[in-house]
Amino acid sequence: MNLVEKILARASGKPSVEPGEIVIAEVDMLLMHDLSGYLTSGVYDKKVGLPIPHPERTLMVFDHHYSPPTEQQADVLHHNREWARRTGINLLDCGSGNLHHAAVRGGFVKPGMIVVGSDSHTPVHGALGALAVALGNDSHAGTVLPYSKAWFRVPETVGIELHGVPRPGTTPRDVALWLTAQIGEGAMNYKALEFTGPYVKQLGFWDRWLFPLLCVDLGAKCSYVEPDEVTEAFVRALPGGLPDDFPRGDGGEAASVLRFDVSDVVPQVACPPTVGNAKAVSDVAGRPVDYAELGGHGGGRIEDIRTAAEVLRGRTVHPRTRFNIVPSSREIFAQAVREGLVLALHEAGATWFPPSTGSNQAINMGAMAAGEAMVSTHARNFPGRNGSTDAEMYLASAGTVAASAAAGEIAERSTP
Amino acid sequence: MRFEGKCWIFGDNVPTDRLVKPQYVFEPVEVMARHVLEDLDPDFPLNVAPGDIVVAGRHFGQSSGRAIATKALQGTGIGCVVAESFARTFYRNCFEVGLPALEVPGVTALAGAGDVLRADLTTGAVTNTRTGATASGAPADRFLVEMLEAGGLIALAAGRPELFGGARAR
Repeated sequence: MNLVEKILARASGKPSVEPGEIVIAEVDMLLMHDLSGYLTSGVYDKKVGLPIPHPERTLMVFDHHYSPPTEQQADVLHHNREWARRTGINLLDCGSGNLHHAAVRGGFVKPGMIVVGSDSHTPVHGALGALAVALGNDSHAGTVLPYSKAWFRVPETVGIELHGVPRPGTTPRDVALWLTAQIGEGAMNYKALEFTGPYVKQLGFWDRWLFPLLCVDLGAKCSYVEPDEVTEAFVRALPGGLPDDFPRGDGGEAASVLRFDVSDVVPQVACPPTVGNAKAVSDVAGRPVDYAELGGHGGGRIEDIRTAAEVLRGRTVHPRTRFNIVPSSREIFAQAVREGLVLALHEAGATWFPPSTGSNQAINMGAMAAGEAMVSTHARNFPGRNGSTDAEMYLASAGTVAASAAAGEIAERSTP
Repeated sequence: MRFEGKCWIFGDNVPTDRLVKPQYVFEPVEVMARHVLEDLDPDFPLNVAPGDIVVAGRHFGQSSGRAIATKALQGTGIGCVVAESFARTFYRNCFEVGLPALEVPGVTALAGAGDVLRADLTTGAVTNTRTGATASGAPADRFLVEMLEAGGLIALAAGRPELFGGARAR
């Protein structure tokens, strides 16, 4: 059995499971942000109302708000705080960072766990070797909170094997965007994806993170990187350390394997209206941008902030563009301070925002007027997610975002 | 489980952000339902009638996993939603909230706006009653049909607590 099957078999108390089978499995961690937490707690109070036997297995992170801009939103956060106090679940309040980054940094996710959440990017935790699946509020309220259980259809697994050494200037984010277009949105519906191959294996943890992040746009249920020495060293340094024992795949090859050579991939921009609409940066270069942003599930990493500082060394942000930087967690902001990146980017004209999920859905920042455009490290570019349906969101690597901030238009980073 | 109703047709890759726009996420379901899919078809929320059938292309309901997208659609009173394919969280949420969903490759080719369709969840078959054209997909899993019959996941869990509240695996 592969990693997904091993985890589901263990958590459902069965010796083995088969793709297609529906099992009821024990859930180790429920992750919610301030919006999904509000919706889930509402359903729970209204329709379920049973005791929560394992409140320690739920984490809520306020990441769509770093500070509520309206009374209605203040009410949402107030309700969530009260609910967290009453039920005893874990809460990380405004300013803690992006939900998924804060969960990992806080040691709430470990290899071998079953992690659920209604944020659609919950599968990103497959980067740690967890089985991480997005479920809806009614699963959380109806079975996860009261029983620590959820139903799962055992997915078929597809191997995504990446080979080759990309050319200079092409980053893992570019490879991930390119791969989404190559495979196709929805093409992996209901599947589990194993990201593997020499290209994936040589990446550090936070670069591997960018691959399970995209699996939802391919339609996949979950994806993972088989835990190895990179994973173990990373997890060992987190609160709670590395578990003594966790499931591992038995090395059998997936039912089908897709192989890709990344050697010729050039820097990519996912253009509106969907994530799979990736093009070479050079094809889109010159499109004026009103906003550039480092942030969201995939951005605001220390790697991204360092890249921006390198790109902007000796340069300033273009007067037409606002360059907003949203650290992915408090730890990353502190590290950026220690490395002198905060002052350097501030003096180059960038604006620092509190650790959060940034302009994701424009709940507390990032709304655009008709005709405006943003280039960002975010995960989504659907029209209407950031203000006007006639505004445009372009998704790119930190290098492209920073080069575009300096140029005032979509621009490729000059090769370092 | 059989449904018959007038169909409304939507394209490929419709995200949940277009079912429930960000400005409505905190509103009650009735308000979300009054604006559901309005950017793609302004007539839909105004003129959809109970029992109508929503037909969509590939990867319907991609983006957010929050069940409000399915609840907003359910709030219009439609009978069921039939798509070439669904984003999996949307498909799952349909059954969990009690909204019948059927995946039928080829459905968009046989349905014209305003045609009356007949859909059968247990056989997976869809028929256009005007033209007689049919297509079929995989029938819904028995567990999911049982969930629908119970009125959704929460009702199922309440009615059969042994399903989820049994002895712990570890």
